[in-house]
Amino acid sequence: MKTLSRLALLCLCCMAACQYAGAQYLSSKIADKKVTIRSAVVLPAKVEITKESAKGSQMMVAESAQISSTIFEVVGQTLQQKKISVLKSPFDAQAEAMDDEHKYTLANIQGRYDALLPKLIRKSKDVKKARFSLGDEVMILNVDQNANVLVFIRGQGRVFTKGKTAFSLLNPFSLDFPFVMITIGIVDARTGEVLVFTRPVAASQVLKNPESLRKLITKSLSKLAVSS
Amino acid sequence: MRLESVPSNLKPLNPRVTVLNLKKRLQASLLATGLSLALLPVTGVNLKAQSSPAQIKTQTNEVFKFDKIDLDLLEQVELLDKRFEKEGLVYHEAGLEEYLNRVGNAVTPDKQMERVAWRFRALRDPTPNAFALPNGSIYINTGLLALLDDEGQLASVFAHEVTHVSKRHTYAQNRSIRKKVLAINILSTIATWNPISGGAGMAIDVIANVSPLILELSIFGYSRELEKEADLEGLKSLTGASYAPEEMVNAFKLLQKDIEGEQLNSFYSDHPKLEDRVTYIGSKIDGKARSISAEELRLAKAQFIAQMEAVDRHDVELAISAGRFRSAKFVSQKLVDFHPDSSENVFYLAESYRSLGPRTPEITESELTTGAKKRSAKTRNKLTLEEQETKLMATADGQRAWKANQEKAEQLYFRALELNRLNSVAHRGLGMLYEKVEKTEAAADQYGKYLEFTPKAADSARFRRRVEILRGLTSDNGNPQRVHPENR
Repeated sequence: MKTLSRLALLCLCCMAACQYAGAQYLSSKIADKKVTIRSAVVLPAKVEITKESAKGSQMMVAESAQISSTIFEVVGQTLQQKKISVLKSPFDAQAEAMDDEHKYTLANIQGRYDALLPKLIRKSKDVKKARFSLGDEVMILNVDQNANVLVFIRGQGRVFTKGKTAFSLLNPFSLDFPFVMITIGIVDARTGEVLVFTRPVAASQVLKNPESLRKLITKSLSKLAVSS
Repeated sequence: MRLESVPSNLKPLNPRVTVLNLKKRLQASLLATGLSLALLPVTGVNLKAQSSPAQIKTQTNEVFKFDKIDLDLLEQVELLDKRFEKEGLVYHEAGLEEYLNRVGNAVTPDKQMERVAWRFRALRDPTPNAFALPNGSIYINTGLLALLDDEGQLASVFAHEVTHVSKRHTYAQNRSIRKKVLAINILSTIATWNPISGGAGMAIDVIANVSPLILELSIFGYSRELEKEADLEGLKSLTGASYAPEEMVNAFKLLQKDIEGEQLNSFYSDHPKLEDRVTYIGSKIDGKARSISAEELRLAKAQFIAQMEAVDRHDVELAISAGRFRSAKFVSQKLVDFHPDSSENVFYLAESYRSLGPRTPEITESELTTGAKKRSAKTRNKLTLEEQETKLMATADGQRAWKANQEKAEQLYFRALELNRLNSVAHRGLGMLYEKVEKTEAAADQYGKYLEFTPKAADSARFRRRVEILRGLTSDNGNPQRVHPENR
């Protein structure tokens, strides 16, 4: 009886997770095609991967940086497939070459998005109601004023060691799985309003295969119309 | 228990007896494992590799032996250091860096430590905090720098963090956590697959379910022990470097101020309570303390603020951007009190008052109760800054506070311009203030002046667009009024 109820709970959680994983939220302006996105600036992605072993978690700073730049590229390519031109920004991944003022400006706006992110995840549906905004201060990142939108990418993932995998298999009801969750926020480059928000979730295996990663990102932006 | 080691000649003939014996032995073994793991943190019987603070001391005085896991951690923190730099989180100002390193190096141990290179840096974060990485990188947030009153307090923060590094606390904590997490994993698996029924089975269930919780709590307990050691050893380094020991108490008292009303005492805390820290540090310095005259204190404070003026202004900007409006007001008021004729300082105070919106400049008594703090934390998690402001603005108290803040801000912007008529950002601030109170024409005029003085400002496009919207020159699908409160 105990096992049956646990199994039912596990199934319910999996169903809820699938629903959650595939979710895409578009502001009514985008859904009703009142606003068309033609150009975008993709800001440096921040994806955190940790290695989970039976003895706890460890940081993977270098791997996280590598995956961040891969996802940055993949998102750019996905947008280009939708005929959205991805503009080169003075705030791109070559941050080492930036002066302090540029670094600070970028960090401030990224920080502001990070502060908003928990609320975006919590009530993603409110993106439709245009509830979330970073303010028109984002214009400072759109130096040439050519971009319609700014793209923020965040992610977190867990990679399991063999030991941890064994424990998670032995203890399936702990709902402890290796996964990666990426969030993509597309923000109006002038008003700072969040226009699109998606949060694809997949097994962390996807990180080892760029093609799977590409499919995941493409699917997560499927509702975003191709720019005419 | 190794079954294969049972000699064949001792094997019972009756297979049923074997099964019963096995079951009993399994029960006993599971009980023993569960009990020993459950009692481990409570009795202080440590697993072999777990180090108590005393053991770590021994390790530091001799030679700390780096295991693979320590070297892995070290490699990660080296990369983390570079990432902080790359992501623009480290604050750079030549004079300040030199000063922080001078004060920090005064409280470091004399002898060279393996795999430690001392570096003291300011992190662009308005929350009052500091932390140490095991490679010797000590970071102090701009929010804490702005709160401190003098060099002695800064040295006491560094002395505490330096102790974490010199006593290799991070490695010890990491090793301890790894042992405990492994135990938690084993116990959770036992709880899932406990094949034994009856009283013994129930006992195993209880132990296997409760022990992980105890182990988790012990992680916090161990962390608190290390923090206490860092305080006490830090105090020794502080006095060794000829700083007044009571400066450590003063630094903790400053942290107790709770300007934002966000300090909640939690059972799951990795630091001792601030009042306890003040008490035990105070008891250690009784009698030893040399008295500091009021004049000495005033001079030390003046020298320190002069050194910190630029970073404090930077912190005010960060605090406003992060919605820590009362902290911004506190720091900018300190700057104005120190240097009242600085147009820049007066401007930052004006910005702080404008950003406060419907909040009172200082936290009220009613906001400092535990219940109020919990409600406030819940609201912060749930609502955006803009929604919080709208909610407050709907109350009579909020309206009253906004009116007072608005008047004060306007007066201060004018004062900033009086002190330096070329202070263009004061025009920008006035424009934002007028826009918020719907004085459209006045707002556009002030933005115009800002753009006239600084046409190439990084945010000129933003304010050009605002002028166009205010003057009805452009229709726009986005209203700049519906934005982050700081932008209003």
